[in-house]
Amino acid sequence: MQNVMDINYFRLFMGYALMLIPILILWYYKTGLVKDTIIATLRMTVQLLLVGLYLEYIFKLNNTLLNIVWVLAMSVLAVYTIIRRSGLKFKIFLLPVLVSSLISILVIDAYFLGIVIKLDNIFEARYLIPITGMLLGNTIRNVIISLNSFYNRIDDEQNLYRWHLANGANRRESLLPFMRDALKKSFNPVIANTAIMGLISLPGMMTGQILGGSNPNVAVKYQIMLMITIFSSGILNVLLSITFSNKFAFDSYGNLKKDIFRVK
Amino acid sequence: MIHIQNLNISFKDEQVFKDFSLSIGQGEKLAITGESGKGKSTFLNLLSGFIPDFSGEVNIDGIELNAKNICEIRKKFAWLPQETALNMMSVKELLYTPFSFALNKVHHPNKEQLTEIFDAFSLNENLLNKKVKEISGGQKQRIILASCVLQKKPIMLLDEPSSALDKRIKKRVTDYILGLKNTSIIAVTHDDYWMSRSDTVLHLGEEK
Repeated sequence: MQNVMDINYFRLFMGYALMLIPILILWYYKTGLVKDTIIATLRMTVQLLLVGLYLEYIFKLNNTLLNIVWVLAMSVLAVYTIIRRSGLKFKIFLLPVLVSSLISILVIDAYFLGIVIKLDNIFEARYLIPITGMLLGNTIRNVIISLNSFYNRIDDEQNLYRWHLANGANRRESLLPFMRDALKKSFNPVIANTAIMGLISLPGMMTGQILGGSNPNVAVKYQIMLMITIFSSGILNVLLSITFSNKFAFDSYGNLKKDIFRVK
Repeated sequence: MIHIQNLNISFKDEQVFKDFSLSIGQGEKLAITGESGKGKSTFLNLLSGFIPDFSGEVNIDGIELNAKNICEIRKKFAWLPQETALNMMSVKELLYTPFSFALNKVHHPNKEQLTEIFDAFSLNENLLNKKVKEISGGQKQRIILASCVLQKKPIMLLDEPSSALDKRIKKRVTDYILGLKNTSIIAVTHDDYWMSRSDTVLHLGEEK
């Protein structure tokens, strides 16, 4: 294994200077996102530094219960981010989206770690935590886009939804075009990204593994598997989130409740 | 067919219906008219289950209107919304969407049925190859009306069915729809000809 080139703090600071580009552009166009961008960057920095410390400790301990608690905590945080960003109400969406995220992670983690990689213990920290982190991190965007698209479109096009219902469609049929649209909006970019993988974009995890001294062939195999698990868990999470939240977002007559949006 | 007793509906401080009662027989053609804000569209929305907050008894074809029965009740309707700007790409989609629902598949129109209704409504079958944005408001209205008729439902709920039609076509379409013998038709309208051809005209805002 080759030694990895470390980045000293001065150079790290130089790297941060690149953030001036998005900040200046967002400021120039008065997007109102400058503060969010700075906070997000600071959060990312603190979180990653802390995670580095935690992970070292957790990997050493490798306690199944602790690993599960860690995954649960990651899921709760992911769901919090999803609901906050999608502009929906926590009290209506927290439970269904959390359950959906946990189910999709459980299914995909168990299949990937237990059957594909064939780990003796699928709760092993070194695999469970980074893989779940990758799945959750990539799924957040899909679920935000799809929930947003699904509920906003029904609200905006209530006439179409009602036209379906009042012409004999059942609930599933009347929601079908909205579900189709949400899936398209959410997964078109994923498909495009998957198709150009390796040609235009070199994925972060693979690059990280190679920089860390792994054999590129092993890194590529893991990357392929990750792309597939991310896609599958993402679509499962989206489908379940919409399906489960349906039970809470519509009244007993099948009308979209008016108070599901936090901001609109 | 439809019995309503002591209906009360309020929006915020305004009472739209107060102790309102009405019976509509099978095959009866009811025209509802009146100033805006007097509850015409609300009435159609109530029957379709889009106004859950009401008091009183509403019975449709022997079934009480409530959350438990709403799916059964909606199966009896074909509905024309007032706003026909439904987000659809093609005219074909606009006509055939209701027939993609399991309930209506059995009535998916064949060539003869399609030709008959298109002739009756002065529609050209070439329209089916067009995009929705390429056709006029009147054509759009007639396509949705044609779709309603083809569903062969016992009750049609029509919100301003002739508002976008010119005089000659309006007469043709009105005569055809109000000539459907066993279909109960409840139409919100301001059209004198439609009202003159209906069995009953209800002026909302005058007697409630």
